[in-house]
Amino acid sequence: MVLLSFINPLSEEGQEIVKEKGDLESVFSSNDELIYIVTHDKRQNIDDDSLIPESYGDLAIKRIQWYIERKNNKDFNNDDYSYLFNEEITEADVISFHLISQAIATKLNPNSREARFFVESQGKIIEERLVKLPEQERKEIVNRILNQLIFQENINWKFLKELVASKKISLTDLVLDEGNIILDKEDFINRFGDKFKDRAPDRMYEIIIGDSIKELILTKMIMQNTENYLQKIREMSSKIEVHPAISELSEKIAQSISELTSKYSGFYGVGGSEGSMKIGKLIKEAFPPCIATTVEGVSSGGRNDAIVLLLTSFVSYARLYPAIFRNEGVDVKVSDIDPNLTITLNEILPLIYEAADNCSPPLFDDQPQEKINITSKLGFGMYENPELDHEGETTWYTPMSCEKIKMHLPQLCRPDKLCAKIGNPLSYYSRAKWLMEKEGKSANSINSNNNSNGDSKNNNNQ
Amino acid sequence: MFKTATLEERRRYYREEWSEKDLPKFITDELRMREFGFDHLGHGPNDRYKVFKGKDSLRRFLRYKTPFAAYISVAFYNNPRRRGDWLKSEYVFDVDAKDLPIRSCDCDGVCEICLSEALEIVNNMIDTLEGDLGIKKIHLIYSGRGYHIRILDDEIMDSDSELRSEILKYVAGAEVPKLKYGNISEGSGSSYNFEHFSIPIAYPKVFTKRIKYNIQHLKGNEEIDDINKNLLKDIIKNRDLLDDDQWGIFRSKIGPRRYKNMVTGMARVNLATIDAKVSIDLKRILRLPTSLHSKVSMKCVEVKDREWFDPFKSAVPKFVEERK
Ligand code: SF4
Ligand SMILES: [Zn+2]
Repeated sequence: MVLLSFINPLSEEGQEIVKEKGDLESVFSSNDELIYIVTHDKRQNIDDDSLIPESYGDLAIKRIQWYIERKNNKDFNNDDYSYLFNEEITEADVISFHLISQAIATKLNPNSREARFFVESQGKIIEERLVKLPEQERKEIVNRILNQLIFQENINWKFLKELVASKKISLTDLVLDEGNIILDKEDFINRFGDKFKDRAPDRMYEIIIGDSIKELILTKMIMQNTENYLQKIREMSSKIEVHPAISELSEKIAQSISELTSKYSGFYGVGGSEGSMKIGKLIKEAFPPCIATTVEGVSSGGRNDAIVLLLTSFVSYARLYPAIFRNEGVDVKVSDIDPNLTITLNEILPLIYEAADNCSPPLFDDQPQEKINITSKLGFGMYENPELDHEGETTWYTPMSCEKIKMHLPQLCRPDKLCAKIGNPLSYYSRAKWLMEKEGKSANSINSNNNSNGDSKNNNNQ
Repeated sequence: MFKTATLEERRRYYREEWSEKDLPKFITDELRMREFGFDHLGHGPNDRYKVFKGKDSLRRFLRYKTPFAAYISVAFYNNPRRRGDWLKSEYVFDVDAKDLPIRSCDCDGVCEICLSEALEIVNNMIDTLEGDLGIKKIHLIYSGRGYHIRILDDEIMDSDSELRSEILKYVAGAEVPKLKYGNISEGSGSSYNFEHFSIPIAYPKVFTKRIKYNIQHLKGNEEIDDINKNLLKDIIKNRDLLDDDQWGIFRSKIGPRRYKNMVTGMARVNLATIDAKVSIDLKRILRLPTSLHSKVSMKCVEVKDREWFDPFKSAVPKFVEERK
C-alpha cells in the first residue's frame, strides 16, 4: 500500500515526514538515496544527467517543470520524469512539496503565477499517480484520504463552497440531494433507485458517480488546501526570518518557470501558429459595433457597465489573449502575458480611460471609484491601479457574450453582417482581423506592428 | 390596476393601510444594518444611504413622505449610511414577469398570465434550492411586477459573487449538462455519453425540467439565439411528445445537430429568465416588502403560501378597489 502522503503531502503523515527529515541545511546537497531511487526506476530515462534530481531542491523544481513540459511540449516524454510516479519517492516528494510551499509563500506571492503553477502541478501529479495505481489500491486510498479530508458522513456542498466559487468544481457536475453531495453507493440507491426506469441503478451509480467524482473532489480539495497552506505560511512568515536555502529555491523556481514559459510561448508570448489569434496591437478597425460605440463614449444609461464590464474585458483580452475562448479551461492572468504590465499600463488602460472620458458625463468625474472596478476586472483586486502584488485577488473578467450585451446593454448592440456569425465581440474581433489580413489589407502592417511593439522585448524581460 | 398611483392615493395607502406589523421579520430583525433608498418622484431611487433605527422611525418617514417607491438593501453593514463595513448580503433571484423571454401572453407590461407563469418558474427554482441544494431560509416576495426570492442562509450570505453565480447557473438551468460521464483522467477506463434527459436525477433533471417548461410555453414568435425560425417551428410541432417525456423520439425528430442548438439556446433562455445582475450584486437595493409599487399600483408583499398565491387577492391596495 502506498503511503497516504504520496497522494496528500499535507496529511499528518506528511507533516511527520517533514518534521523528521526536512532539514533546511540539506536542501541543495546531493542526496544519494534520492538518486538511487530515481536511477533504479525501471522506466526512467537515465541517459541524460540533467533529468535526474540530485537534491530535494532539485526535485522541487522538477515537479513544476514536469507540469509545464507535459502541458506544452509536443514531444514530451513521460519517461523523463518517471520517478515522480514511483511510490518509493514519497518521502523526498513530501519534503520537496513543503519546500516549494515555503519558497513560494515567503519569497513570491500566494497569488503569483509560480503559486498557480505549483498548485496546478500538484493537482495533475495526484491525478496521474492515482491512474497508475492498481484499481483496488486506488479505491482504497481514495476512500481513506477522503475520510480524512471530510470527517462527516454526508458532505454538504457548502463544505466545498470555496472550490465551487473558484470554479475548481462545478455544482452542476455533482449529484446533490438535500444539500448533500451523494458519493456512497447505498445512499445513492436509497435516494434515487426508483428514478431509473430502464437502467439498473447500481450501474448508473458507477457511471455517474463511481470513483471519478470522489477523485475529482479529493484532487481539488488538496489543491485548495495547498492554496490555503501557502496563505498560512505567508501570514506566519512575517515573523520569521527566511532561510537562505529557501530564498535560493524560490529564485530558482521563478527562473525555471520564466524560462519554460517563454520557451512555450503559445499563449504566454508572441508567436504561435494561429495567425490572427496572436497577440498584437489593437486594430480599432476590427472592433465590433458595440465596442466601437463604447470607445466613442456612452451617454447616461449603461455607461458604467459599458466601460467597466464590457470594454475593460474586451480590450484587455483582445490585446493580450484573444484566444481565450479557444482554450477553454486555461486559466491565464494578465501577467502571464504582460509580466511587467507595460502593455496594460501603456496601452490597455489609456484606451479604457479615454473611452471613460468620452462618456457624458465623463465617468470618473462623478464616479472616480469606478477606476477601482476596472482594476478589479483585470484581476488586480480593489485598488486604484494594477500592481503585480495584488494580482489574483480578483479574477480577470472574460468578455461578455453578445447575448449578455443584448440583455444588459441593448443600446450598444447594432449588429452588422459579421455579427451574425459570432457570439462574442472578441470572436468578432478575431474574425475581422483575420478577414482584413486575408484581403491583404493590412496583413503586413499587422505583422510588422507585432514585431515592433515590444512584445518580444517583454518576453525577454521575464 | 396597473395604472400609476396618484400622490393622493399614495398618501391614503401609507396613512390608512400600511402597517409596520406587516413588515416581515427577516426585514425588521436587523433593520438598522440595512441601507434604505427612496424614489420620491418616480425617476428612480435617488434618495439613498438612509438608515432607520427601528420600525417607528420608518413608519414616520413613510407616512410623512409617502414615497413613490421604497427600497431596502440586501446588504447588512456596520455603517449602512456610508455603505461602509459590509458584513453580508442576502442572495436574491429576481424574476420579472415583464422580462420573461418566453411567456404565453401578449401583454406589453404584466398581466395575470405572465404573473402566474413567473410564479410557476419561481416555485420551480425554490424547489431546486430546497430539494437539491438544501437551502432553508428562503423568503418569496411579490414585487409588484414579479418575484424576488430572498435567501438568508448564513453560509451563502457571506459569500462572494463568484459562488452566487455558480449557484445561479444550477438553479436556473443556465448551463448545458455535460454529455460525457466516466473517468476524470484520460487514459483509463471508458466513458459514456448521456443526454440530459436520460439522467433523471441531479442537475440534468433540473435542466430537463426547465427546458420542458420553456418548450411547452413557446408561442412561435420568440427570437432565441441558436434557435432559428425553422427549428422553432419543428420544436413546437413535436412538443406534444414531451407531455409524456418521450425525449428520445423528440430528439430524433429534431435531429441531433439541431437538438444541440436547441439545448444551447434554451440554456440561454434560462439564464435570461432571471436578472443575473441582481443575483451577483452584493449591495443591491430591492423593493421594501409592504411598500407600494406606484407604477402599477400594487403592493410588494411577502408570499406565505407559494402554491396558491394570487397577487390580485393579496397585493391590491384598497384605493384601487375604490377607484372606479
Ligand atoms: S452582435 Fe455582438 S458583436 Fe455585434 S454589435 Fe451586438 S453585441 Fe456587439
Ligand atoms: Zn402578460
